[in-house]
Amino acid sequence: MFKKNTTFYYLLLGIVGVFLYLIFGLINLQILNKEKYKLIAENNFVRIKKKKPSRGEILDVNYKPIVTNIPSYNLYFVGSKIKDKEKFMQFVAENTALSKEEVKSILDKSRYHKYTGILLVENVPYEKMLIISENLNEFKSLFFKAESTRKYAYPNHFTGYTSKITEDLYRKLKSKGYSINDKIGLSGLEKYYEKILKGKVGYEIKQVDARGKNLHLFKYHLEKKPVNGDNLILTIDNDVQNIIRETFPKNMKGAVIIMDMKTGGLISYVSYPEIDPNIFMSPISTETWNSIILNPQKPMFDRVLKGRFPPASTFKPVIGLFGLENNIIERNTKLAECTGGLNVGNRYFKCWYSGGHGRLNIIDALSVSCDVYFYDLSLRIALDDISEFTKNCFLIDRTGIDLPKEVKGFIPDTKWYKKHYGKYVSILGQKVNLSIGQGEVLVTPLSLCAFYAAIGNDGVWKRPHLLKKIIGENFEREYVTETRELPASQKNIKIIQEGLHKVVYGKYGTAKRIRLKDVDIYAKTGSAENHKKITHAWLAGYAKFVNGKKIAFTVFVENGGHGGSTCVPIARDVLDFYKKKIIANMGQDKGKL
Amino acid sequence: MIKNLKKMDKTILLLLILLIGFGIVFIYSASYNKAGNVITLKNFYLKQMFWAFIAISIFFMVVRLPLFFIESLILPMYILSLLLLVIVFFMPEINGSRRWILLGPLRFQPSEFAKVATVLLLAKSISEHNLDNWKIFLRGAAIVFFPLVLVLLEPDLGTSLIFMMMLFVMFLASDLPNFITILFLAPILSLICSFNWYILGFYLVGLSFYLYKNKLSSAFIGLIAVLNLFIAIFTPIMWNTLHSYQQDRILTFIDPMHDPLGAGYQIIQSKIAVGSGGIWGKGFLLGTQKNLNFIPEHHTDFIFSVIGEETGFVGSFLLLFLFMLLLIFIAKRTAEMNVPERKIASIGFIAILTFQILVNVGMNLGTIPTTGMALPFISYGGSNLIINVLSIALIEKFIIGED
Repeated sequence: MFKKNTTFYYLLLGIVGVFLYLIFGLINLQILNKEKYKLIAENNFVRIKKKKPSRGEILDVNYKPIVTNIPSYNLYFVGSKIKDKEKFMQFVAENTALSKEEVKSILDKSRYHKYTGILLVENVPYEKMLIISENLNEFKSLFFKAESTRKYAYPNHFTGYTSKITEDLYRKLKSKGYSINDKIGLSGLEKYYEKILKGKVGYEIKQVDARGKNLHLFKYHLEKKPVNGDNLILTIDNDVQNIIRETFPKNMKGAVIIMDMKTGGLISYVSYPEIDPNIFMSPISTETWNSIILNPQKPMFDRVLKGRFPPASTFKPVIGLFGLENNIIERNTKLAECTGGLNVGNRYFKCWYSGGHGRLNIIDALSVSCDVYFYDLSLRIALDDISEFTKNCFLIDRTGIDLPKEVKGFIPDTKWYKKHYGKYVSILGQKVNLSIGQGEVLVTPLSLCAFYAAIGNDGVWKRPHLLKKIIGENFEREYVTETRELPASQKNIKIIQEGLHKVVYGKYGTAKRIRLKDVDIYAKTGSAENHKKITHAWLAGYAKFVNGKKIAFTVFVENGGHGGSTCVPIARDVLDFYKKKIIANMGQDKGKL
Repeated sequence: MIKNLKKMDKTILLLLILLIGFGIVFIYSASYNKAGNVITLKNFYLKQMFWAFIAISIFFMVVRLPLFFIESLILPMYILSLLLLVIVFFMPEINGSRRWILLGPLRFQPSEFAKVATVLLLAKSISEHNLDNWKIFLRGAAIVFFPLVLVLLEPDLGTSLIFMMMLFVMFLASDLPNFITILFLAPILSLICSFNWYILGFYLVGLSFYLYKNKLSSAFIGLIAVLNLFIAIFTPIMWNTLHSYQQDRILTFIDPMHDPLGAGYQIIQSKIAVGSGGIWGKGFLLGTQKNLNFIPEHHTDFIFSVIGEETGFVGSFLLLFLFMLLLIFIAKRTAEMNVPERKIASIGFIAILTFQILVNVGMNLGTIPTTGMALPFISYGGSNLIINVLSIALIEKFIIGED
């Protein structure tokens, strides 16, 4: 306690102590060191030199390269040092892949950054670099930097590519540490995992005078090392990926997806035709660019993720499952007799087999892909219930794969038909058509693959993904798969499985040519009508191997004809390759023991 | 009423008005920006003039209120301030924390109000007659606990330090034996000293000697010494179990130079501004660091850097001298107070003001970590100005109240 007469003494001591401390600090800065700080304030100031991190690499499941960094010579220019603009453009156009107009447009775009080096041409070939270097005395505005660029192991649609940051993007991301010459992931994994791949920029701070001399004014050497981007290990298996790329019929369009059913990780992700991301790593000539975007095969279009197609007969298991789940049919319930078609109202709906299948149960209806069975089944179901059920099977919404810009599928309901076809539209015909996956229903090959994997997993749906794990400098983080449940009981899913099995092993099974020794295969074929062109061919299913490995697959060929004839051979080759690989690995493991 | 005003300490009022005027002049400078031939002038100084008018009006209102009326408001004010501190959590986040209540264009910071309410309630409840030590300790700790936790959750580290500081000083001023307050503080000091064994040794010997002088049993002293030694031993062990990024964050708080582009940036630039002001300064409105906008937000927490740059040592010293005079005059009148409750409250206010000046100016000089604390009476901001003027008004009221 303060005694009455000492209160003031204590308070005075505290107050004067605080002010002496502050005044001492003031004297230190403003009297003792004033020259130093005046110098910094006048000449200034703080020079910040950025140190770029190296971007994380992307490897396949066996740590084989998919995306790596390789050295590259990049040509830069400083706008304020250009003397003769015309001559400059001429010289650059002569010695690089850029046209004079392109050089001009880069100059225009960078007019607000006159004093910084701006990236002009990436990946200048060695011979060109020598020629340009000889002329650098004449063109003082140009200089080379040895940096690194991305190398993509093979053409594909999932890695995406990096590109120099655009002026707009730069303005948005400036605060997040991007600089004007940075490269940024523009699509695919490069975009989705940008934050992880990028790393953190390091810097060195110097207090320099007007001549750039380091004044060493602060007590610390202000330096922060760059933190390199983390590496991604994918679930992709380069060997399988490459086999599919070789097997896929040339000049055809389509998609092949192989998914590990245990984890949901994609073992392959092929959309054909493919695009080589490497071409974006150096300037593209207008010709090359036109040849890509004007190609009727649309090589830039990723059919796995962004292609929406009618699922055709691969949709039948969904309808069948709905019937079972709502006790409309049982395993042995036989529906209307197939005589090559069915009369519904005043319309006649044909079965694909004009000879007629007779009366079938669900197993055989799937096996021979009888349309009439599903027409009849659909008559007993409300359209909106089918629509709802399909959504609940996760076929319509985005799967949530770790790639940007995935598209949703589509399934109409009564409301939609009324809106688009008028109040008095007859839903009946539309519904019958939907029951065999035709008409307005659209799915992506990826969501279909995830659905068949879920059937094979007894109803457990797993989110498809490409990332297996992230490996940083001193940590590893595994991808955690999200799982969901199909809205159906195990018992009913087993019935669908039985049907899919009979598609392969039944006497009249539509995919019986896929049979392979030592592989147990479940599948469904499909041929989707589209505007009277050749049908799209589908094959979706899953397979079990001797070592217990289970994979789901979807093969899709745009205008490929029939699933049974076009897709089955592709799938069979891939499964055969995979089987051999498993056997070879098992042999190796035994050898190790 | 007129009699009341005559008894008021005019020197304190005069110094207060001088300081507020000083602040408005430099908020004008901070609002003024000249780059090349382009001059921009923001209206912060006009707003601050408005707030100054409100604050002085409140001052004269409070001085005229009867003391018993003010005293009857203490508990309701404390409860209201806690409520307001809770409401803050439902407000949108600004710069990563929730400190303000937004009413249209106005921003009000309830933690400012809570400081005054807590000082008054604390003073009232720990100065009652015949309280035993435990009661004083528990009451004090409980009263400070709630606002402290709420402010920490905002999060606002600077203001929560003020609450701790307030409790510590007011305990020292109360009937609680000082050694108990020291014991309360000892573990924190042990933690700080643990990084150097020599300093730790001196500290523990000093602590034991102090307790011995207070006639405590040697067994008790031994126990305290051992406990503090344990804290000191465990601190480095705990430190090593932290991740390097967590260590970095703590180190950056203690020494912002660890992050020269982030937390350290403002401090480096502020030091350059103040240092380059030299003895006479660069002249009013002519600060280059200010005009080139090297220091963001220089009208609020970094206003001292503008004063230092433009008026040099002479002006900065004058400002600190005015502050010191104000506090010494208040301290003198406080020592003369007879009612313990008012005396302790007044000491609490002195502690808060001194602490704010220390932290803010220290931060501008680069000797104290950045915690986001305003310079009383000088920095731009309505809540802070009004509350600081209100605390001076209450002190004046206590002075008048002494017969």
